[in-house]
Amino acid sequence: MKRGIYRIKGARDKKKEPGESLGERLARLFEIPGEICGNRPKVTAIGRGEVLIENFKGIMDFQSDMIRINTNNGIIKVTGEGLTIREITNDEIIIGGKISNIDYDA
Amino acid sequence: MFLVHLWNYIRGYVIIIVTGRGIERFINICSKRQILLWDIERADAASATMKASIRGFRLMRPAAKKSGCRVHIKKRCGLPFFLYRFKRRKGFKVGLVIFSALLMLSVSIIWDIEVIGCKPEMIPEIMSVLNADNIGRGSFKIKLDPKIIAKKIALNVEQIAWVGVEVRGVKLFITIKDSIEPPVLIKNDEAFNIVAERDGLVKKMEVYAGTPQIKEGETVRKGQVLVSGRLESKNPEFGSRDVHALGKIIARTWYEESMPVSMVYTQKLKTGKIHKTVYFRFLDRRFKISGGDVPFEMYETVTEDKMVTGPFGLKLPIGLTVENSSEVVEKQVELTLDEAIDVTIEKAKENLHKRIPADSTVVDEMIKQYEADNGTIYIQVVYECEEDIAGLEPVTEK
Repeated sequence: MKRGIYRIKGARDKKKEPGESLGERLARLFEIPGEICGNRPKVTAIGRGEVLIENFKGIMDFQSDMIRINTNNGIIKVTGEGLTIREITNDEIIIGGKISNIDYDA
Repeated sequence: MFLVHLWNYIRGYVIIIVTGRGIERFINICSKRQILLWDIERADAASATMKASIRGFRLMRPAAKKSGCRVHIKKRCGLPFFLYRFKRRKGFKVGLVIFSALLMLSVSIIWDIEVIGCKPEMIPEIMSVLNADNIGRGSFKIKLDPKIIAKKIALNVEQIAWVGVEVRGVKLFITIKDSIEPPVLIKNDEAFNIVAERDGLVKKMEVYAGTPQIKEGETVRKGQVLVSGRLESKNPEFGSRDVHALGKIIARTWYEESMPVSMVYTQKLKTGKIHKTVYFRFLDRRFKISGGDVPFEMYETVTEDKMVTGPFGLKLPIGLTVENSSEVVEKQVELTLDEAIDVTIEKAKENLHKRIPADSTVVDEMIKQYEADNGTIYIQVVYECEEDIAGLEPVTEK
């Protein structure tokens, strides 16, 4: 009985992505881009010198060789040389500099 | 990106140095509070430089307090700070006002008048029409009504088919299409005689059509038929035919003028008093600087323009106009007989020249002097001229 419940739960957990809400599932159903519905981050890298992250929560660490940004899907770490924050607003951050890595959950 | 920079420059921004442990926290709080930050650079482990708008900088204080950071201004950039420097300079402000006023003024006046599309000899006539209305270089554009000016020019100047007046920038363009006067038509289907326009002695006749009624060397009276338009055939049975008589009748004519000699002559004498009126001149406008109304009853005025010449022979539109008015007094002068006669002859000649038609040439002049019964001396001047005395008159049926 107990095991069965566990199994059912586990089966459900496998199907469902962690942190996927009702809105996001609806969005996927209607093929609406994910960053519009819900608050998942959108990372856009333009060339090597510019990374734009939308829907972020805040910066956790800011050094000239590493920037860590908190988002709903975990922490995004951008490493490189001479990193600067070109612009920062409530839901958008542009990182400039020579970028070498964009890491998730770091 | 350039536009963003320009906008930031116009709005004004500050470059600040934030020092403290919680710089990330400071940035987060600022972004949550809608304070725009850009170009954030880490200077070292404990400080960062960034740019913020003036409004943002004012709202920054709570954020700095919360995160335990200190904020210093490194540099103030942008137009507001640049203008702030001039805030206390009164002269600068006055200069700015004067400059803009002068600019407005210079843009709102006519600097040049261009007349296009007409013969050069018509330009003075057109200009005189404009002058009569006080329109010239330097008059205000607002006061000008192109339609009215065009109408005036078309009415007052002969031989104009169409006038276009246009103000383009600071230039007044007057476009003219001149009309060609139709030639005088000889009405060949009507019969005309040639008659004498005035008395004279016929010297030469050139008859192209018609029957001459006189011979060379005859004296004719005014109105006499010189060339008849009726052609009589040699054989009277064929009758006659009326034509338009044509021809040139060159005749000697005389004009005379008699005048009594007066021994008293009114002479205009300068008293030596000179009144100076100085105008400041800008383009065609004059502004009086010194000298009031001329205090003399009679005066002659000599006007002199002194325009300022810039470097390289550049003519500037400003200068001075000096009007020298010298007082004139009429004086009765007793003349000797010879002088009096000379003066009278001059006067008589002057009068004669006004009377002689333009197409005649003076061949000879005679001066006679005779005395009337009461002792006055008269001078008679006679001009002998040569001219075409042919005039036209319709043939009347007899």
